[in-house]
Formats: sequence, structure tokens, C-alpha cells
Amino acid sequence: MNVRVRFFARFRELLGTDILAAPAEGTVLADQIREIARKNSEGYAAIFDDQGDFREFVIVMRNGKRIETTDAGTTTLVDGDEIAIFPPVAGG
Amino acid sequence: MTITLQIEDVDIGALIGAAKQPGVGAVVVFDGIVRDDDITEMELEAYEAVAVAEMEKIAAEATLQYNLLHVDIVHRIGRLSVGENILVIVVSAGHRPAAYAGSRYIIEEIKKNVPIWKKELTKEGGRWVPGEHTHGTPL
Repeated sequence: MNVRVRFFARFRELLGTDILAAPAEGTVLADQIREIARKNSEGYAAIFDDQGDFREFVIVMRNGKRIETTDAGTTTLVDGDEIAIFPPVAGG
Repeated sequence: MTITLQIEDVDIGALIGAAKQPGVGAVVVFDGIVRDDDITEMELEAYEAVAVAEMEKIAAEATLQYNLLHVDIVHRIGRLSVGENILVIVVSAGHRPAAYAGSRYIIEEIKKNVPIWKKELTKEGGRWVPGEHTHGTPL
């Protein structure tokens, strides 16, 4: 299956955006993001803590809807998913 | 109602004209601009589809909650210079309390929940503006 991962702001600078991934069936969201983030240690450290958990300020969206980071470890990806990972918003 | 992200500047006069509908007794304009905080420029980035959807939701909530007669939200993206418009909110209502309150509601909700980020560019490099709300309400 294919999923699209988008990083924004500082995370985008470190990890890129519009990343297409082809995870195996049953892959959970958090594992997919960890795998992508490992390509840049600074990017990984910006998003995950020493235990490999999402840092508390990180925001995760799946198909435009926010999900709790604590649920990302049990959220199974589905073909066509768009995942967005970003820091707190600062518009206005 | 205009709810949009755009690179180009905003014609505030045209928005005010469109807000003057039958029954309107007050139009309130919020214009957020790039402040001269010893920066050269500011770069704005958005998760565009989600940002527009969230601004539409905020406009609908404000309209209902404050009986607004018209709402426009135009948020700019891209690279802006000091003094340029970042965000223009135009609301109209029958009376000023509703117009002021509706405008205030919209800007505060945008700062909490709309996925837009600002990077201040300086002679030394750049710095991301920290979000005011690390725990926004789930969208």
C-alpha cells in the first residue's frame, strides 16, 4: 500500500515533505514516522524523545483530522492515508 | 464570504464594501502585519487544505455564535516584508459588540488551530515563531 507523509515548518526543513512510503499491511503510524525520521538524527530528535515516543508538543494528523500522539502507536495505516506531522501552529 | 490563503496582497477596501450588506451596522477589520522585530522578511507556510477547512469552520462558528452577517478571512503565505499584511479578517454585524466579539473570536481561534507557521528571517539566518498553544483542541 501507499501512504503520503507530510512534515511542516521545522520538521519539513529537517526531513522534507511529500514523502511517499509503501509500508507493509498492518504497519502502525508511529512506526512509519520513526522509520522516515531516522534518515536525519536531528529531525528524529525534534519529533521523538529518548524513548521513541512523540514529543508532547508534536501534532499528528491523519487525512486532515488530528489524532492523539498516544494513539499513533496503535493506529494502523490504510492505503491512501495522508499523515501530517508538525509543531504547534503559529499563524495569524 | 471569502476564506482563503493567498500569496498576493489583500484588497481590504473591497472586502469592507462586500461586508456592507442589508442590516449591517458595524464592520470590524483586523489586519495583522509583519512587525519590525529586527527581521528582514517573514516566511509563511501552511498545510493548505486543512488550514482553509479550519478557517471555514471558525468562520461558521463565529457567524452562528455572534450573529455575524458577513465574514472574510484572508491569510497570506509565502515571503513577506516588514509592514505587509499577513492576515485580514473582516466581519460585519448589526451592532458593534457582536462585530468586535466575532472578530476577536476568529483571530484567537486561528492562532490556536489553523496549521500555519511563520519563520522570521534575519541577517543571521532564521527562527520559527513558536506557537502560542502547544495543546490546541483536536480538529
